[in-house]
Amino acid sequence: MKKILLYILMGLVILYCLFPFFWTILTALKPSDEVFSLPVIYLPKTLSLENSENVFSKRPFGRYILNSLIVAGGATALTLWVASLIAFHLRSLDLKKATRIQRGLLIGAIIPPALLAIPFFVVLAKLMLVNHYFGLILAYAALNLPFAVWMLHAAFRQLPKELDEAALMDGFSPMGRLFKIFMPLSRPTLSITGVLVFIFCWNEFILALTLMPSQLKYTVPVGISMLSGASVYEIPWGEINAAVTLTTIPVILIIAVLQRWVIEGLTTGAMKG
Amino acid sequence: MKGGNDYMKGEKKRIGLIVTLFILLCIPVSASSKVVLRMIGPEDIGGAWAEVIRIFHERQPDIKINYISGPWSTDERQNMYIRSFLSGDPLELVYMDVIWTANFAQRGWLLPLDSWFPQEEQEKFLPRDIEASHYKKRIYRVPVRSDVGMLYYRKDLISEPPKTWEEFEHLCRRSSSPPELYGIVFQGMQYEGLVCNYLEYLWGAGGTVLDEKENVCLETRENIEALRFMKKIIEEDWAPRSVLTFQEQHSLEFFEKGKALFMRNWPYAWKRLNHSPLKGKVGIVPFIRKTGQRSAGTLGGWGLGIGRGIKHPEAVWKFIEFATSDSAQKILHMQRGAVPTRKSLFEDTDIQRESPHYKELYEVLLGSRPRPVHPDYARVSAILQKHVSAVLVGIERPPDAALAMDRSVSSYIQGKKLNWFRRLAVDYDLHKTVKNTFLFTILSVPFELFLGLCFALILNAPLRGRAMNRLSVLIPWALPTAVMAVAWQWMFNNPFGVINDVLMRIGLIQEPLNWLSSPQGAMFAAVFADIWKTTPFVTIILLAGLQSIPKDLTESLSLDGAGFPKRLLHLILPMLIPFIRIALIFRVIHAAGIFDLIWVLTKGGPADSTRTLSLYIYDLAFRYDELGYGFFLTSLFLVTLILTSVVIIKTMTLRYEKVSK
Repeated sequence: MKKILLYILMGLVILYCLFPFFWTILTALKPSDEVFSLPVIYLPKTLSLENSENVFSKRPFGRYILNSLIVAGGATALTLWVASLIAFHLRSLDLKKATRIQRGLLIGAIIPPALLAIPFFVVLAKLMLVNHYFGLILAYAALNLPFAVWMLHAAFRQLPKELDEAALMDGFSPMGRLFKIFMPLSRPTLSITGVLVFIFCWNEFILALTLMPSQLKYTVPVGISMLSGASVYEIPWGEINAAVTLTTIPVILIIAVLQRWVIEGLTTGAMKG
Repeated sequence: MKGGNDYMKGEKKRIGLIVTLFILLCIPVSASSKVVLRMIGPEDIGGAWAEVIRIFHERQPDIKINYISGPWSTDERQNMYIRSFLSGDPLELVYMDVIWTANFAQRGWLLPLDSWFPQEEQEKFLPRDIEASHYKKRIYRVPVRSDVGMLYYRKDLISEPPKTWEEFEHLCRRSSSPPELYGIVFQGMQYEGLVCNYLEYLWGAGGTVLDEKENVCLETRENIEALRFMKKIIEEDWAPRSVLTFQEQHSLEFFEKGKALFMRNWPYAWKRLNHSPLKGKVGIVPFIRKTGQRSAGTLGGWGLGIGRGIKHPEAVWKFIEFATSDSAQKILHMQRGAVPTRKSLFEDTDIQRESPHYKELYEVLLGSRPRPVHPDYARVSAILQKHVSAVLVGIERPPDAALAMDRSVSSYIQGKKLNWFRRLAVDYDLHKTVKNTFLFTILSVPFELFLGLCFALILNAPLRGRAMNRLSVLIPWALPTAVMAVAWQWMFNNPFGVINDVLMRIGLIQEPLNWLSSPQGAMFAAVFADIWKTTPFVTIILLAGLQSIPKDLTESLSLDGAGFPKRLLHLILPMLIPFIRIALIFRVIHAAGIFDLIWVLTKGGPADSTRTLSLYIYDLAFRYDELGYGFFLTSLFLVTLILTSVVIIKTMTLRYEKVSK
């Protein structure tokens, strides 16, 4: 009896979490007369890909995706590179000191990005990097560095001390040790950190909005939020929902595949704050 | 680092490479012996500017004009100019809207033109356009084209055009028959055009925004009357409800179909109407006014100025002189329909043949009024737009709106003169947004914690399908907030949204609710969407906490006969405290700093009811050009958030935790 109740509750939780997403997909698959029909049609009578096609043919949505890929990819690479250097250095310190430095970094990580938009803009404007991929990549790397350092440091610490000695014997330079031994050995952590950083960058909004204001440099979230028409009656809701679906499906697939590690990464990342 | 030489070398090379790349990316490409002058304008449809520039190039072969086709949106073109001034590489030719002039001049971005453009030359132009080109008694632009708001009417349906509000009301009552034939269409969307419309009613009622001493005069009988009359036009169905979403083009299309007696619009509409079925059936008159007051149309128009700090101001002036000459203005008129700014052109036979209505237009232009000439006009206009729109939509009463407009504008103008700390006390928008931020946080965070706890407990129960369940809980967290805000906007849509439909089906509401266009509804929608989006985060943290509770503790308690409520109270919650604390800190900080969700879902509207502090700071920095004050507020906000976290940590640390440390 209790079990049944629990199952019902669980079903409700799933419905609550997934409903907005399902509704978006359903709307995206409807032809436009069904999108704007009253009373609301729940299951599309005819499936149509018209909306998804329009998103690409009528608007520069492909360009937005490219921008997002460049920025999120670049930022992920830069973050992982710098974070491994820092984590590698932290490993050579004693644990107490390393933890203190990390705490300092993590305080920075908790600041809401909306409050960082102005400082980032001022600095990047001085460097003439506004509207430049590299500017946004720098900002994202800075934003995600504390989290990545945390994850990598934890992974590097687990590697035994003897490994260093053996590497030293074999004539590895410190960088050689990092790139040829530590990083390959920590591949699982590196990849999960990379995936999470990528998702954070893919999803980020306010910095993308302020640091890349020209229309050709919009990332996907900014592009979608600007998709509205000139008036209430012109908003292309079918296309907007198609765009939302296309942006969210890759994220969901990644999460589905890597579920367990994502949860672990997220909790360790959050817990240590 | 010992023995790190190789590494250092490799590292230096790499850094060197990055720096070089970086520098290469930043070098602008420029090489030309001619003097090149750049200007930004809208897309040159009809090629009028190309023609003017071609003739100029023939006369001045060593000057090259580079006309950059900017976006249609004037705001966006203004931003392009501002960015060019801020970046230290100012554009030479400043082609500006009349309302930018004061701001650009005050910031010191424009050269005064007095020495090139003496009084007697100025007198050859329309007086209002010259007046609006001045800031602090110096002139900063030469008008190229003029513009003015006026009333179009159907000559075939109305014998005597209305002069006053009363005559207008009479005609609407007698001759209109909605929905086939409405009284009037105008621009009712919340944007600059709405202010142009509103000012014509305000002036027509004898009111004004700023008096000569720059005092704000909006909490007045005249203002309330103007707002009431505009509201009446909507409520009595003289205008279709859809005008609340109209800009110029929409009004013109509506009027062109013959569905309204009157239209408020700019001169450009005349040409198009005379190539439509309404040819010869449309007349123009000055805009309506209250009996006993003077009519005034809002002055628009564009002019040319010179950017400060450029190399060849003389060359720029040569072009300005040519582009504002009789012959160039004539080209702009013939090919583009631009209204000339030189008085003499209104007598020109070619132009009179092309545009026979210019005799009447000239009268309207003489009676026009510039919008408040103030360096912070953009900010003033944003405030006016918001409240006029709120009145028309019906969420603010005219007296309340008049009061709020007055307070908001005057607190802003006064505040700019004070230092930042003093300004905090009078900043009306700050007070309002802090209140909203607080409300949003208080409404959303407790729910998120409670629901998060419930979800975590359910997910922790030993059931089949847990993996699936955990996945579905992760999804709201993993999706982009801004993108899902769009999805919620669609679900809360009225009438097509699914939420209204579901609520009606289960009988909770009788008719669709206006979620996003009423203040309470919008706040509710924002809170609801935020709860959906962030509960998973809390769930994941608390789930980790639940899993850290030793199994045998739970079991021994159950063996002692403790039911679930008892276990929850005495074991689970105390053990979860450190996890709850972290979730709470994260959630409070991020709820207070919320931006994405609200910016996309409601843009802070309606009438500022969901505008939070982050949105205000963002506007300060990137719309009102007050980076310093915005930065100051950011710092204060950050300090407040840190203090809040400290308080949370202090109050939520249990005694045993302190001891163990």
